[in-house]
Amino acid sequence: MAGVTKRFNDHEVVSNLDLEIPAGTVVGIVGPSGSGKTTTIRMVTGSLGPTSGTIEVLGQRPDRFSRATRERMGYMPQIFSLYPDLTVLENVDFAASLFGLILWRRYRRRRAVLELLDLWSVRRRRAGQLSGGMKRRLELAAALVHEPRLLILDEPTAGIDPLLRRTIWDEIHRLRESGVTALVTTQYVTEAEECNLVALISDGHLIAFGTPDELRRAALGGEVLEVTTKGLFDAAALANSAGVLGVRQTGPRDFRLVVENAGTASADVVQALTAAGGEVESVREVRPSFEEVFSELVERDRVQREAPDPASRPDSSEAA
Amino acid sequence: MGLAKLVVRILAVIGKELVEVFRRPGAVLSLILGPFIILAVFGVGYQGVKKDLRTVVVVDPSSNLPKDVGTYQSLAVRGLAIVDVTSDRRAAEQRLRLGDIDLVIVPPPDAVASIEAGKQADVAVIIDVTDPVEANYAGFLAETMSAAVNREIYRLGAEQGKAYAITIGGRDLSNIPPDIIASPTRAVLINLSPVQPSIVGFYGPAALALVLQHMAVTLIALSIVRERTSGALDRFRSSPMRATEVVIGKVVAFGLLGSAIAAISVWLLVSVLGVPMLGSLAGIALVIGLLLIASLGLGLLISVISDSERQAVQLSLLTLLASMFFSGFVLRIEEFQPAVQVAAYALPVTHGIALLQEQMLSGSISHAWQLFALAGIAAVLLTLSWILVRRELRPE
Repeated sequence: MAGVTKRFNDHEVVSNLDLEIPAGTVVGIVGPSGSGKTTTIRMVTGSLGPTSGTIEVLGQRPDRFSRATRERMGYMPQIFSLYPDLTVLENVDFAASLFGLILWRRYRRRRAVLELLDLWSVRRRRAGQLSGGMKRRLELAAALVHEPRLLILDEPTAGIDPLLRRTIWDEIHRLRESGVTALVTTQYVTEAEECNLVALISDGHLIAFGTPDELRRAALGGEVLEVTTKGLFDAAALANSAGVLGVRQTGPRDFRLVVENAGTASADVVQALTAAGGEVESVREVRPSFEEVFSELVERDRVQREAPDPASRPDSSEAA
Repeated sequence: MGLAKLVVRILAVIGKELVEVFRRPGAVLSLILGPFIILAVFGVGYQGVKKDLRTVVVVDPSSNLPKDVGTYQSLAVRGLAIVDVTSDRRAAEQRLRLGDIDLVIVPPPDAVASIEAGKQADVAVIIDVTDPVEANYAGFLAETMSAAVNREIYRLGAEQGKAYAITIGGRDLSNIPPDIIASPTRAVLINLSPVQPSIVGFYGPAALALVLQHMAVTLIALSIVRERTSGALDRFRSSPMRATEVVIGKVVAFGLLGSAIAAISVWLLVSVLGVPMLGSLAGIALVIGLLLIASLGLGLLISVISDSERQAVQLSLLTLLASMFFSGFVLRIEEFQPAVQVAAYALPVTHGIALLQEQMLSGSISHAWQLFALAGIAAVLLTLSWILVRRELRPE
């Protein structure tokens, strides 16, 4: 996607989005509700056309997808769009037929995919009588039944229990190992950890794109050490120490240091702290939650957009 | 391989639509039995004979006319029941307003004087109805009543003339009864139709055509609108499914369903309600097939322009209402203005009713152009709706 913008009337839902998704990876589009994730996904599937910019999926523009290209894609919409009066088996069979699966392959695939998602035992139950979690699994089964190479999942884990969420992510990882590319949206920012690459979106803007670790570094400016001293200590004394990129006092005896490399910096930090008159009780590397990372990146993006003067932008070293 | 996949997709749509319909047995039963039960109740409940209009004759006290009910009852034409003779016109009109009676007849006080003066004597016929059909009917009865009175005057005149003819030695005229002189001719109704007219016989095929159109329009319109609102069309957009396959699948599915319902309905009409069946099965199948295809095209069109189930249902009901009024089901199309007639002939059911009635009641089709018109409407509606569905399945 290059410079993709989508407007509905005067409302810009997606703004100037650039995104490149390598084959064989799981890419998560993470953002709060209403941030433009589904619109982005629908532009990728060809359901929506961009107002401006270009999109290319599997080598083709979505509005010119050939049937063969569509057969290589599987799409799971955000809302339940299967048929409540049809049984689980009939729904999956219908989804397989949409992709032209011939009878015997259909029989084989529908059983395989329903067993995989633990729906075989309820195959004769009407879809309208399933629980919310089962409906999500049925949607996923319908998206997987024709063995797509590109899987586009719009909030596959929304509204389902943690155990099932784990199952779905395990299945996505298994598919990636078999060469499938997956584009997944989620509003659970913690699920960004499950992805090889993460695109953070807020208000239709791409805030950051990279591996979870890259995003963490981008948000915090480096790796983080959490230090506790035996007595009161002013962490500002370490601000100019070698390898220290940022300092944040979190308590009278506690502070966090952003360092280039946590593994090698620990010893230097202990030495500098002792030299400054402090006594270390503990030093440990912490991995901030993705919620913290996301909040930090969103806030920074908001400040940047509201203050276009580059001089006013906050220094990343102060972020931790 | 491509053709096989196309067949798989079309069969999937057909199967899905049929299974969805049959998963709701109540809906299927009402589809099949509903029209039949309504028609049966209509046929059994509607007597087809108008009740006699309760009539009061107002005779002026100064008039020489008879004042007893019996005389007027013997004079009254069919359709009028003389219930009273009075001299109080105001009281009679009050009874009319209250709905006690249907008609007030006021003969002239002195008809003979008017005739002798070379003027027509007026017989006032007073009604109080808002229904134009009822008003026409009362007018028709008044004309008939007037003719009966005229006949009575002729008869009396002839009776007097006969006595005169005998005295002057007239020829055979004296042997002719006064009734014959007063009414030398009489109408004998001859109906060329091979079947006796009956309410159920006439309206049965028309109701079937109307029901088939309504069913086809509603089923296919709701099917597409539901898929749009549920997001299923989004799934189609991201799949290899094309508009042609969607349209063919749905038309075939609902066409098959409609044909099955039509077959059962025709059998019930003929075997249970005794509707004549003079046409060939092939001819009737052809008419029903064309009617269903054209109606499905109309339903597809409604589905594309509706943005909710409610709107689709409303438009389907409006189509039904328009069909009731303009298709010839109730009123003859020739009685409408030419511009309205054009609109009437644009409705599939207009041709469906005419062709089914001809096929079943006459055994032949005398207006073959209507077959071509129905086929033309089907082609235009299906092409138009296919273009619109195709546009809908493109990226928004």
